[in-house]
Amino acid sequence: MAVVEAVDLRRTYKTSTGLFRRRSLEVEAVRGVSFEIAEGELFGLLGPNGAGKTTTIKMLITLLIPTSGEARVLGYDVVKDAREVRKRIGYVFGGDRGLYERLPGIDNLRYFAELYGVPPREQRARIDELLELVGLKGREKEKVEGYSKGMRQRLHIARGLLHDPPVLFLDEPTIGVDPVGARELRGTIASLAQAGKTVLLTTHYMFEADALCDRIAVIAKGEIVAEGTPRDLKALVTEGTVVEIETFDAPGDAADRLRRLPGVMSVAVEDREQAQVLVVQSEATGTTTQQLLVALGDVQVGRVSAREPTLEDAYVSLVTRK
Amino acid sequence: MRQALRLLGYGWALHFKILSRSAFDGFLGVLWPLFFATIAFFMFRTGGNSSALLYTSLGASVMGVWSSTSVAASSALQRERWAGMLELLAAAPVHFSLILMPITLAMSTVGIYSMTATLLWGRLLFGIQLHVQHLLLFALAIPVAILSIGMLGFLLSVTVVRYRTAWALGNALEYPVWLVCGFLVPLSLFPGWVRPISWALAPTWGIRAIREAALGGSPLPDLLVCAAIGLGYAAAGMLLVDTVLRSARSRATLSLT
Amino acid sequence: MSYGLRVFFVGGLMSYRALFNWLSPWILIPSFLVAPLFQILLFTYVGRAAGLESDRFYVIGNAIQYAAIPCLFAMGNTIGGERWQQTLPLILGTPAPRIPLFLGRALPVVGNGFVVAAVALVVGSAILGVRVPLGAVAPIALATAVSALSCTGLGLVNAALGLRVREVAVLSNVIFGVLLVFCGVNVAVGDLPGWMQPISNALPLTHGIEAARRLADGVAFGGVTGLLGTELAIGAAYMALGYGLLRFFETMSRRHATLERA
Repeated sequence: MAVVEAVDLRRTYKTSTGLFRRRSLEVEAVRGVSFEIAEGELFGLLGPNGAGKTTTIKMLITLLIPTSGEARVLGYDVVKDAREVRKRIGYVFGGDRGLYERLPGIDNLRYFAELYGVPPREQRARIDELLELVGLKGREKEKVEGYSKGMRQRLHIARGLLHDPPVLFLDEPTIGVDPVGARELRGTIASLAQAGKTVLLTTHYMFEADALCDRIAVIAKGEIVAEGTPRDLKALVTEGTVVEIETFDAPGDAADRLRRLPGVMSVAVEDREQAQVLVVQSEATGTTTQQLLVALGDVQVGRVSAREPTLEDAYVSLVTRK
Repeated sequence: MRQALRLLGYGWALHFKILSRSAFDGFLGVLWPLFFATIAFFMFRTGGNSSALLYTSLGASVMGVWSSTSVAASSALQRERWAGMLELLAAAPVHFSLILMPITLAMSTVGIYSMTATLLWGRLLFGIQLHVQHLLLFALAIPVAILSIGMLGFLLSVTVVRYRTAWALGNALEYPVWLVCGFLVPLSLFPGWVRPISWALAPTWGIRAIREAALGGSPLPDLLVCAAIGLGYAAAGMLLVDTVLRSARSRATLSLT
Repeated sequence: MSYGLRVFFVGGLMSYRALFNWLSPWILIPSFLVAPLFQILLFTYVGRAAGLESDRFYVIGNAIQYAAIPCLFAMGNTIGGERWQQTLPLILGTPAPRIPLFLGRALPVVGNGFVVAAVALVVGSAILGVRVPLGAVAPIALATAVSALSCTGLGLVNAALGLRVREVAVLSNVIFGVLLVFCGVNVAVGDLPGWMQPISNALPLTHGIEAARRLADGVAFGGVTGLLGTELAIGAAYMALGYGLLRFFETMSRRHATLERA
């Protein structure tokens, strides 16, 4: 049985604009997301900002009611059995907020230990153990307002683990943390998965997903555009090539002309100062550089280079496709 | 059940600690009701009505308890949302009222500082001596009054959660409760139609209990009514909490983003 | 000259709208309509219990005193708000003449204070059945306006101090309380302890409230011009002090970059 199941989850937001004549707009943030996470898996939800990662995760942790669709954690429905779900999950999110600033770290942990029903006798030992795990031992009596971003994140992780939940949801846990701190955090996350916990991680750092996750789902504009192991995703692109063509004063439809060529998967346009660079991803047996240049016709062309695609190219192409 | 009580107690202690550490809240919380108490004392003294002074002082001392609750409670959920705490708290596997009640109870408990200050102020500057007839009931009436005000704050915090500017509503309730619950003047001065409103409010009974315990009378019935109404607020609030939270999860208003 | 006037009127009004974010009816009605009415009711009843003065005494006193809320908070917001949004250094970098710049922000506040006090007076009188001679209505309105003006001066000082103090709201609330106690709002100044009276006379509102009360008692306008003149002078003094403080802080900030710090 899958530990986490999402079945065609949808979520629409209604926003209203204007003061007197209120008009409401509907924004579909999540449009039919489905996936399953097996026990002990470290699953990554990878996508750019605004793709719907946070909305999806909030539906799974019972903070948002889906507009339609279903989700289950450990067999419990997230809407009907919300309380059962909450007892079994830990939720960690990135950012500065979510802690009582004027209190020391350890008081924050004690409060959440109470909230999550950790038996009083076990609280002290558990908190000690977790402080050790996240590397905050010795700093727990300081007020949170003095903590660095990385320390707050680590405290959040400790908080999420207090009741030893079998499933953990981490929403962009390393965002805003310095590289060294982020690396330590990732190490901690990896060890949690190794210890048998099921983890859902959202991130927009592709290298993070690549390094940590057993499987990744790429999400863009509310839909999952690809799913598989990091290797599978790279395979989507390794058999092609990426050609970068520098152009000067290319007309607007230049990119479209290239897109229409057989075998061209995507064309991204990057604006440089005096020129534009058309980044063309094509399949292995697709068009040659020669054919691309011919298609551009008499557009002035500068440097042309061809290279192997990287996972980043795969990601960009997946999330920018129409 | 035991866990619920533990959580209530622990949460109350935690928030009391947080509130006590804010110099701004503390200083103003004590000073603000003193301005009003001072004027009331002046008015009665100048009017030559010194026997009313103790009566007034007892009621005035509770003014601060309501002040420290009304604005803060009405904006409690909004503040938790801003601090990013609301979602975390809503995601916990306990009934949300066990999380929110301690917050408003702590707010009213902090009013004890102002209560003490007002009584001392009356003593030092206006020579108002505190004589207490029924000491035990007096000692009991104070926490009952404070807790019932905290429960009123709890109900308020849930009722106004939909309004982003709820703090203004809470602010506007400061004077009306002072007036209608007889903090400074006996209810007999008001037109008859006001009485039912006063009687439906727990602070009215809490203050009556305090006064009767100090000045002589029968505080026990007042005390019991106060406690009962307070529990009524708690029950109403708990029912509302479920509706409010479900609505928040549906309308995505638990967090700012 | 017209540059200065435009800065005064247009600039003042715009910054008021931009920064005084109390302009939602959900805030205005409770804070500006409901609260002053209840303050009037509260003290009128205390007055009745104490058996001191007429209802009219308390209605006038509390209605006019409540103008202090917008005068202090609106002023504090429009000046302090610049610092929070970090537009203050931008504004100070312009060549706009300073007097209309700072005082322009005061004008909408005076209007606000006047309206709050006037509405409280009218509604409070209606509820409590307080009467005022018809001929006294316009002069009382004038006395109210003068009081609002002079209280805004104090508001300007408060706002200037608020730029350097961390918790502006505490200061505003404390000043409100001081005005409540000292300005003869609920206890005639003459009935206050001797040491308090010089303070009362140095504060705004005291003379304006007294003037309004005398007018309501039927005293002719000529009889209160002295009081109103004093009130205006006090207001002008506070305005000047507030303005001076703002310029001083501006200079300090150019040397020590203090105004940008939130």
